Amino acid sequence: MKTLVKIALSAALIASLSNAGEQFAMSDADRAMYAEMLESNPADMNIAHGGELLEKNCGGSAGLAKFLHVSQKDLPNYIAGFPRYLKDFNMVVGIDQVLQAAMHENGKKPFTLQSKDMFEMSAYVKSLANDVPINIDINANQQMKDAYALGEKTFNTNRGKRGLSCLSCHSTDVIGSVLRTQPLPALGANGNASVGTWPAYRMTKSSMSTLQHRMQGCMQNALLEVIPLGSPEMVGMEVYLGHQAKGAKMAIPGLKR
Amino acid sequence: MEERTSLIKIKPKNYSDGEIVKVDFMVMHPMETGMRKDKKTGEIVPAQYINNVKFNYNGKLISSMKVWESVSVNPVFTIAMKVAGQGKLTVTFTDSTGESSENSIMIQPKG
Amino acid sequence: MQRRDFFKTLGTAAVVGATLPVMGMAAEEKKKGPNEFSYNQAVSAITGGKTAEKSDKVHLKVPEIAENGAVVPVTVEVDSPMTAHDYVEEIHILDTKNSNSRCVDAFFTPANGKAFLSTRIKLGGTQDVVALVKLNNGTYLIATQNVKVTIGGCG
Repeated sequence: MKTLVKIALSAALIASLSNAGEQFAMSDADRAMYAEMLESNPADMNIAHGGELLEKNCGGSAGLAKFLHVSQKDLPNYIAGFPRYLKDFNMVVGIDQVLQAAMHENGKKPFTLQSKDMFEMSAYVKSLANDVPINIDINANQQMKDAYALGEKTFNTNRGKRGLSCLSCHSTDVIGSVLRTQPLPALGANGNASVGTWPAYRMTKSSMSTLQHRMQGCMQNALLEVIPLGSPEMVGMEVYLGHQAKGAKMAIPGLKR
Repeated sequence: MEERTSLIKIKPKNYSDGEIVKVDFMVMHPMETGMRKDKKTGEIVPAQYINNVKFNYNGKLISSMKVWESVSVNPVFTIAMKVAGQGKLTVTFTDSTGESSENSIMIQPKG
Repeated sequence: MQRRDFFKTLGTAAVVGATLPVMGMAAEEKKKGPNEFSYNQAVSAITGGKTAEKSDKVHLKVPEIAENGAVVPVTVEVDSPMTAHDYVEEIHILDTKNSNSRCVDAFFTPANGKAFLSTRIKLGGTQDVVALVKLNNGTYLIATQNVKVTIGGCG
């Protein structure tokens, strides 16, 4: 019985999708106009503030490079490979978790993962890697392999009251389909540059958000139990999606509807 | 009073004397219309919106704007400006509650 | 009702929901704003009753479909030499249905080099966006574009 419900509901979902041509979708000219808005992104203000926060709390990019045991020159390339397995942590961590530890080492009270200050500071750090191709290495060690596998599983598992998974809307089956004027990007298959555009300014929220926080919003709307920021599942999903987008250039902050 | 975060951006980044560039001015501001209900309290959030923006280049007013509540949250205003030598571009703004602030950027043409 | 029919209905509802996302102004939600200018009031407040001429010198760029009524990009550019003798003095961005139709009144000088204004506005529903331009000789020019406002995407 449960299976029947699941199938019927995904059929309803598929029925609500249709191809870009025949539905109420944005034109290319409109899309270009929205793309142009990237040039004047309010999140530039968040990034600038994030730079000040990094200076104050972690000794700027020099302090961060030292904390990560890399040269300042190699820092951008290194950042483009996050989340990473770090020996100091003995786990796979996102850049925000690294910043928490760096703050702690500097005698500062770490920002919480969901705080605006952390969003801004981690966005600034990620923007240091702008124009660098994403280079997450899932074969670097067993921990990364495990994180990738957990991320994939989390992405593909049907959960919640509607029995949906991330894959229900972000799979190759629905690429090119339009859900309420927005083409659905295939996040989980064959590469999509969008991972490299987070953190991004969300126009619907009038604020900047991170990839993990955006995924939380998606879970909430799809009636899935919301997974905490920085949890192995969340970090795993970032690894999984980052690997799909490998080679795409970092372009932060993005600008989203 | 805490200064509002604002940013002035010249596009392109590198420009020469006499070139017409774009000037972005953006500011973190709620642009409350006075018609929005606070989701938690159910109370109407009082109006508070930027109502005036002035662009001064080397002490000369080149553009000004009267702004109304229909402009988006965290507004962005872009105008054109003809670069006329080295100098300072200052943007001052006020909002409907009387709050005011300013931000400046050095204009440094190359060649 | 058979279970299968129930899901069929559900499917249909989803299609309707997805194909007609045009947002209307919810009448009961309408509150009084700080300024109330209808479109006509706004235009006459600006022009003082002078006629504004439709002109292809005024390039108004707005999306045909706005994916989010809270942030609608608007760009206005006017063909003008922007010299001391011949320049654009004012560019006004207006809408036709918000409770206050006035969005921005921008004032220019020849020092701008180009008559250009870009910003983002809130639209409470599908309506026209209008660029009203005043030249330094006192002439008013106008351009209009319709914007369909939708609630797009997820979340």
